Amino acid sequence: MPANKKYLTKSGWTKLSKILVGVIGGYLVSLSFHAALTRFFPLENVMITSFVTAYVLWATLLLFAFLIKKAWQTWALYTVLVVVFSGIYMLPIG
Amino acid sequence: MDNRKYNIYFNTHTVSGIIICAILYVMFFAGSFTFFKDDITAWQKNDSQLAHKGAVKKDFNYLIDSLGKKHKLIGRDFDFTIQRNHSGVYVAMSASHDSTNKKKKDGEGGGFGERGGRGEGRRGGRGEGRGEGRGAVAAASDTAGRRGFRGGRAGKPDSNATMIAASATRGDKGKAEMSGGGDKKDGEKGEKKERKGRGRRGDGDNAYFTYDFAKHQEADYTTGYTMGEFLYRLHFLAQVNQVLPFRIGVPFGYLLAGIVSFIFLFALITGLLLHWDKLVSNFFTFRPWNKWKNVWTEAHTVLGVIGFPYQLVFAITGIILIFNSFLIVPYTQLFYKGNQEKIYKDLGYGVKSEFKYTYKPLQAKANVDSLVAIVENKWQRSDVSTVAIRNYGDANMHVVVIGKPQTTAQMNGQGEWIYRVRDNRVISERSPLADAGYLATFKGMIYHLHFGDFGGRPLKVIYFVLGILGCVVINSGVMIWLVARDKKSIPEGKRKFNFWTANIYLGSSLSMLPVLGVTMIALLFLEKPGQPEIYHWFFYSWLALGIYFVALRNLERVNRQSMFLSAVICLALPIFDGLVRSNWFWVTYAQGAFDILFIDVLFLILGVISAAIYWKISQRKIAPAAKTSASAPRRKAQQLEEAATA
Repeated sequence: MPANKKYLTKSGWTKLSKILVGVIGGYLVSLSFHAALTRFFPLENVMITSFVTAYVLWATLLLFAFLIKKAWQTWALYTVLVVVFSGIYMLPIG
Repeated sequence: MDNRKYNIYFNTHTVSGIIICAILYVMFFAGSFTFFKDDITAWQKNDSQLAHKGAVKKDFNYLIDSLGKKHKLIGRDFDFTIQRNHSGVYVAMSASHDSTNKKKKDGEGGGFGERGGRGEGRRGGRGEGRGEGRGAVAAASDTAGRRGFRGGRAGKPDSNATMIAASATRGDKGKAEMSGGGDKKDGEKGEKKERKGRGRRGDGDNAYFTYDFAKHQEADYTTGYTMGEFLYRLHFLAQVNQVLPFRIGVPFGYLLAGIVSFIFLFALITGLLLHWDKLVSNFFTFRPWNKWKNVWTEAHTVLGVIGFPYQLVFAITGIILIFNSFLIVPYTQLFYKGNQEKIYKDLGYGVKSEFKYTYKPLQAKANVDSLVAIVENKWQRSDVSTVAIRNYGDANMHVVVIGKPQTTAQMNGQGEWIYRVRDNRVISERSPLADAGYLATFKGMIYHLHFGDFGGRPLKVIYFVLGILGCVVINSGVMIWLVARDKKSIPEGKRKFNFWTANIYLGSSLSMLPVLGVTMIALLFLEKPGQPEIYHWFFYSWLALGIYFVALRNLERVNRQSMFLSAVICLALPIFDGLVRSNWFWVTYAQGAFDILFIDVLFLILGVISAAIYWKISQRKIAPAAKTSASAPRRKAQQLEEAATA
């Protein structure tokens, strides 16, 4: 049996929006998260670790975009996350 | 798990899986055979590496001397990256640091340096072409990170540096290199651009090529091309790079392979979550004599769970090794202000130390061979992986030897030995068996896990089996998808579409094993088969058989016939090897040519398994008809199901 359509997104545009926010937003969140980590850990170690974690995080965020009911909520959430992580990365301290 | 989540996992898993099924199958199939790349190469060339191991002497002095006949060597840097099977070395020679040094004119007649551009140009014309031409060799060396890697991926899996370095296929500068293919004119243009692009001092006649220690000459790529190399490159879709008629700035095949790996990762995560609640109970449920739909579902779940860690490893390491540009490019911009050289050095590729050029000639003379011998003697249970020379002939000339532990001694580690020629002094030394540190350990794990090179042949066999089981998981997944949609309630048009999707998928995937066997048998009869022959035999027979299977429009017959063909061809392969080259099992065994023997045995086993499956499905086909007790409608339904699925 295919998945029950009752629970899936019906509108094509919402679907597209979710895919976009999952792919692009998820990517940016994942990137900025690891950039923020470089403020706390040695750069090389963060980079090499991110080769695994960044992809897993990205894929998870892509899935998460489908789990959140409204696409705009995901856009908002991911934007906030990117801003927060970039902020940490660009903090003027040490 | 609430219903909504379950259905979302279900839907995303299905859609992502169906999108990538065909390409992923090719990658898994070719990748599984790639574990035996060296064996396949030995088999094809009838030249066992195991029978005469260690016979090749690594003669660096001779190599440097012959380079010196074509080039003025003073002020240059060299990186010699040794291939894992120790038969050859990737050479990367930089331009001279000495800005007063003029290019030696008579060197243009086709020596090593010129070949760096032209030789690969030839190759470019052959087909591998764009985006691989220059990069193919350049990327192989540790220097790749700095220079040639943009052109594409290296020709060998062995050189660790290749992988991450080569996958960063990007940048405008790279285009000059990527256009290194074609004819000589093109090559020259490319070189000129390079020089401008990099702003390097001295003349820009750097060279990258593979050198064969046994033959004492530059290895010719197209004639050295083997089935092993072909399968290796197929598993990351290198051949697809030439498909697009226009350039998109990155090799299309690698990009596609990277995207497929990522979607595969996504499908694995959703698949795991989907089955999470019933993971344990489903694992112990396998009823092969049940209805077809249950057989597919249970096979998919059970094999998926068994193979999950393996597949997860390959999804992740696969992206890293083929298209890490997703991360490397932004990192280079963010953390290194676009300085690619620096990021690769920081990630532990090549020689990190810088050596100043002094413009003073060197009085002493360096004997690289004896230096390497000293280090090899010093580093027990390790292999020298790179020999680098900095500032050749300058007072500040250094020789750097980099080594890695053999996996039987230690999983990861990187030894480095720096020697100054001027005063015959060892500047610094770190043993390969010293503590590797976080970076080298993590990086090493990525490679070891992907190549399966840490447990000898038994591990490779396990990897191979798990890889083929991955193919089965993909196949059964597609069958679940099809059977679940083969219902009266689904509109006719959709059902047709579904059937054709599955039909084309099965036709192209199930034809791969017979096609591989046919190509390898054909190689036995060809005189010195090279890249074009392998391309023709493999792709044309794949096309022909694929079209035939699709035209059957009957999945059951496709399945049966492909099993029949696989059985016949795979069993024929060792027999032909015996008839044509007298490589009977007992002969190769007696010679100690275990790599050749292994391939023969591998195909014997594949043939026997195919025959067994063929026998089983033929039996099964008869069984339902013999059942008279089944009520008519049920029998009808069963037949329908079988026709659509088997």
